[in-house]
Amino acid sequence: MATVLAAFLCVASGFALASLAVSRVTSLATGLLLRVSISIGYGLGIFSVVFLLCRIFSVTNLITLDGAVFVLLSGFAILCRVRRSPAVSCPPTGIDGRTWLHRLLASAFCVALGVAAYSAVERARAHPHGDGWDAFGIWNLHARFLFLGGAHWRDGFSPLIPWSHPDYPLLLPGAIAHFFSYLGYDDPRVPVVIALLFTFSTIGILFSALAILRGRTPAMLAALALSATPFFIEQGTSQYADIPLSFFVLATIALLCLYDDRSVNSSPSRRLVAGAGFAVSLAAWTKNEGLLFLCAILGARFLTLMRSTILCRPSRPQNETRRESWIAFGILLLSVAPGLFLIAWFKHFAPPGDLFSDSAKSLHRLVDPLRYWAILKWYVKGFLRFGNWSLIPGTLTLIGFYLIAGNKRGRKPDFSFRCSALALLLTLGGYFAIYLITPYDIYWHLRFSLARLFLQLWPSAIFLFFLTVPLSSSQSEA
Amino acid sequence: MRQASPNSTRRITIATLVFIVCCLLSTVRILSEAPSPTQSRSDAVDLSSDQRFAALKLALPQYGIVGYIGDSVSPADYYFTQYALAPLIVDHSSNHPLVVGNFSVSQPPNMPPDHLRLVKDFGNGVQLFANKDAQ
Repeated sequence: MATVLAAFLCVASGFALASLAVSRVTSLATGLLLRVSISIGYGLGIFSVVFLLCRIFSVTNLITLDGAVFVLLSGFAILCRVRRSPAVSCPPTGIDGRTWLHRLLASAFCVALGVAAYSAVERARAHPHGDGWDAFGIWNLHARFLFLGGAHWRDGFSPLIPWSHPDYPLLLPGAIAHFFSYLGYDDPRVPVVIALLFTFSTIGILFSALAILRGRTPAMLAALALSATPFFIEQGTSQYADIPLSFFVLATIALLCLYDDRSVNSSPSRRLVAGAGFAVSLAAWTKNEGLLFLCAILGARFLTLMRSTILCRPSRPQNETRRESWIAFGILLLSVAPGLFLIAWFKHFAPPGDLFSDSAKSLHRLVDPLRYWAILKWYVKGFLRFGNWSLIPGTLTLIGFYLIAGNKRGRKPDFSFRCSALALLLTLGGYFAIYLITPYDIYWHLRFSLARLFLQLWPSAIFLFFLTVPLSSSQSEA
Repeated sequence: MRQASPNSTRRITIATLVFIVCCLLSTVRILSEAPSPTQSRSDAVDLSSDQRFAALKLALPQYGIVGYIGDSVSPADYYFTQYALAPLIVDHSSNHPLVVGNFSVSQPPNMPPDHLRLVKDFGNGVQLFANKDAQ
């Protein structure tokens, strides 16, 4: 009963917030899928923050607070739905007149999704404490400290156990500990279920956002590619934080693209931007790499808008004035601020991370050309081998698809694509810089983390790819 | 809206078919690498952590810091100990009033350092020591 109540309050609070962000969509099912998928991450993010606030202020009555948050968010959502915002229309794009191909694609997607679900469940049953050290050594250990520690919850961030990375943010541990509190004990099934929910909600966001923006065919192709990525399914059940981070990165980019793309909504609600701001805050609250992505997305949008302002080029969403673009950017900054405040507070009390332990040596490493060469080689190797695909890597499959199907007069990259792609490139550049200064053996560090870093951006890369590649001749004219 | 040219339509059809085949090949790999539902499961983390230290945990204070000594080269055993005993902090040092000993079952534990006194042997290589110097 406690589990059901906790799950309801978590998802319902997330759904209320997702309904606030995502306005009406003409396709009810697609809109509902997008809101439900986003609500998983939002709900768990809310649960994490509420639990931490309860620990900070020694509040013991969690259920009352959860109920209050749910009522408040639901009230706002109902109020905003009464004041109707314009509906987002779904384009009817598809593979022109080839119903057999569409059916084949739908069948392949169903098979891939079914196999992914089967594999994920069996993996979760085989490794109930996660698959790898980070699961129990970092994320679930922090959850135990938060839940079992009571008034001593800060002990989990002691510098005596630096290997547990006490500086890592607390979205996952906080959400897990919140559910432990309802149950009254640290049930290992909680992180298992959370991991599975994040994995399949990521596929849900990818499918529904692309279905709204480009139609069902690109949506199914993208969801098929993600469901068929073995490394995504492996990591999805490992109870690491990389898939939750990939979820929030994708949610941020998808919501911003829904705002920017005027072909589906001529006057979109700025609540989409606020929703994206909340999602990117939760990305930063999930992993330190999320903080890097937050800076990257803000930087990318700022630079693109500045370029538009300085060069007087229309480098912003169609039909949007320069002033409106800057107002939207201001809303993004405002919606990120509370999350940044929480992260700043956490970073203030947590011990410093291991990557920036010796600035003098870091500077020395920065000027070593061999390190640049080594990282570059691993980037290329990682790009070509990424995802553990069978025979042909996923990255090459996408390139091949573009080369065969790509229309030379295809869709011109728009504002949302340019900003999002730039943000992903800046994030990759940030990872590169971290490898340059890492105090660990560079090859060891690359070997055990690079594929997971690429995975954090993989769902978003697939999203942007199918956002741009034209699948019907009518699209190329858009 | 323009009518799709036959060439463009053919290219998109071929690309989609190749894409589907590549994805399904990868799906076969996901299926083949999935653990079998009938295979026996032993949870290494539970065996090496929660089950192994269950009795010791009852004998320790709920909060605070305890020391740790062990004979394993791999840090995994130490991590398992910390995971099992949280919210106690397990410091990899014997300079604490209470020190947890974690030794392999197959080999008898080496003689503990002089400043440690055995308080209780919980079996299975798990022991609790008191630090004579830190009383």
